[in-house]
Amino acid sequence: MIEFDHVSKFYKDVKALDDVSFAVEAGSITGFLGPNGAGKSTAMRILVGLSRPTSGSATVLGRPYTELRCPGSQVGALLDAGAQHPGRTGREILTLSAMTLGLPKSRVGEVLDLAGLTARESRRTVSGYSLGMRQRLGIAHALLGRPKVLVLDEPANGLDPQGIRWMRELLRSLADSGHAVLLSSHLLNEVERVADRIVLIGCGRILAQGTVDELGRGRDLEQTFLELTANADRSAA
Amino acid sequence: MTDIGIPPATSDDAGTSGSKSTDMHRPATSVPFHRLLSVEARKLFDTRSGKIMTVVLIAVTLASIVTRGAVSGPQLHTLIETAGIGFSTLLPVIGILTVTGEWSHRTALTTFALEPRRVRVLAAKCLPPLLTAVAGSLLAMLIAVPVTAAAASVQDVPANWELGPLALLGWTATNVLVVAMGLSVGMLLLNAPAAIVICLATPMLWSMVARLGATGEALTEWLDLGTTTAPLMSGDMTGGDTARLAVSMIFWIAIPMTLGVVRVVRKEVH
Repeated sequence: MIEFDHVSKFYKDVKALDDVSFAVEAGSITGFLGPNGAGKSTAMRILVGLSRPTSGSATVLGRPYTELRCPGSQVGALLDAGAQHPGRTGREILTLSAMTLGLPKSRVGEVLDLAGLTARESRRTVSGYSLGMRQRLGIAHALLGRPKVLVLDEPANGLDPQGIRWMRELLRSLADSGHAVLLSSHLLNEVERVADRIVLIGCGRILAQGTVDELGRGRDLEQTFLELTANADRSAA
Repeated sequence: MTDIGIPPATSDDAGTSGSKSTDMHRPATSVPFHRLLSVEARKLFDTRSGKIMTVVLIAVTLASIVTRGAVSGPQLHTLIETAGIGFSTLLPVIGILTVTGEWSHRTALTTFALEPRRVRVLAAKCLPPLLTAVAGSLLAMLIAVPVTAAAASVQDVPANWELGPLALLGWTATNVLVVAMGLSVGMLLLNAPAAIVICLATPMLWSMVARLGATGEALTEWLDLGTTTAPLMSGDMTGGDTARLAVSMIFWIAIPMTLGVVRVVRKEVH
């Protein structure tokens, strides 16, 4: 349902992404791992048409995101929980997007419940939200249009342990009902627990991909991660 | 997690799941323009700063007309035009904030993900402030009528109800042009403070340029919107006036807006 096909992205002389290819199938969760600046967010922005690849192509549901009809109701994206107007209430932010997607106002209440934000919290402006609340709002926003594909950049950042558990169960049930989920994270243990497959990226290149078991090779995922990313850093330097 | 409020991803295209989607099975229709328009109109008023702007606009209009009525007497046309002083400061700012807001708060990330055809979003953004200029102009006319009547009875002088329809139309058009300039400069710079300084400082700069000999005078005559819209507001445009107005509009509106649209469409959203 998500496919990166030899995607490269250069900013002047910096290679943000270098020949990245991988796919996320329906009914599965793919964990997108890599150190800061590895290119995870760049890849996700390219996927949803906010940035153009220098070469290669990224497609969702078989076509470029920008060619989807009403992409917001087919792909739910949380790219940056902090990118919200601080003067709007959580409810207002969801209402604006629900209007764009042509959804009934009742859907806003549904996703607020789903994300565990109370009616009272939803009527406060986002400037007073904690990072965890912003993440919940972002996830509510991503689920608004009942999309089949979810693209989540660091959704567990700032969530408390209950929140992380809630997110894990939510993503699992979505995948089990046929959704495709791509989630990036720094939390290796968390990804290990929730993801079916892992794509490990460093300095814009894919270092390894496969199931959690394949990548761990009987060892700790952390060990594999640190070794591979250290090698990538050395070869880049 | 029992109810997640989301049907199985395969439910509405049973049979094609797993394969690439086809046109027949795509449930969603594209976002119609009227929806974008109502969303962008709502964004103008749904924050505290938006509400404050609206209240200030109405308050300044009311205050300027009442004050002018007290000072200059019951002259309907004069009172209406007085509101233009506040408009020329506030309306461009509304336009600028509308087109730069998505970038200063990084909400472009959401807006352009929901509607990747960015030109449509920009069009939907520009219309509400332009309509606000028309609404503001009508509001000034509505306020000026009772103020004129009140001034006449308080000052015990006969009211002057004379109105030039062309002049009034030209005045309204000028208010719209002032917003269009704000939108264009804002879209080009995508930086609210810089755009506001340019829009509010240019009238002052032009009055200085006009004093720089023949060249300065000619420049002002052709490029300063304040100068080129004067005949529009007085309702007696000549052919030469029209040409000068057109040139100043190309310089302040058409060119920056074209460049601004290209910039927004090409811009990488972070």
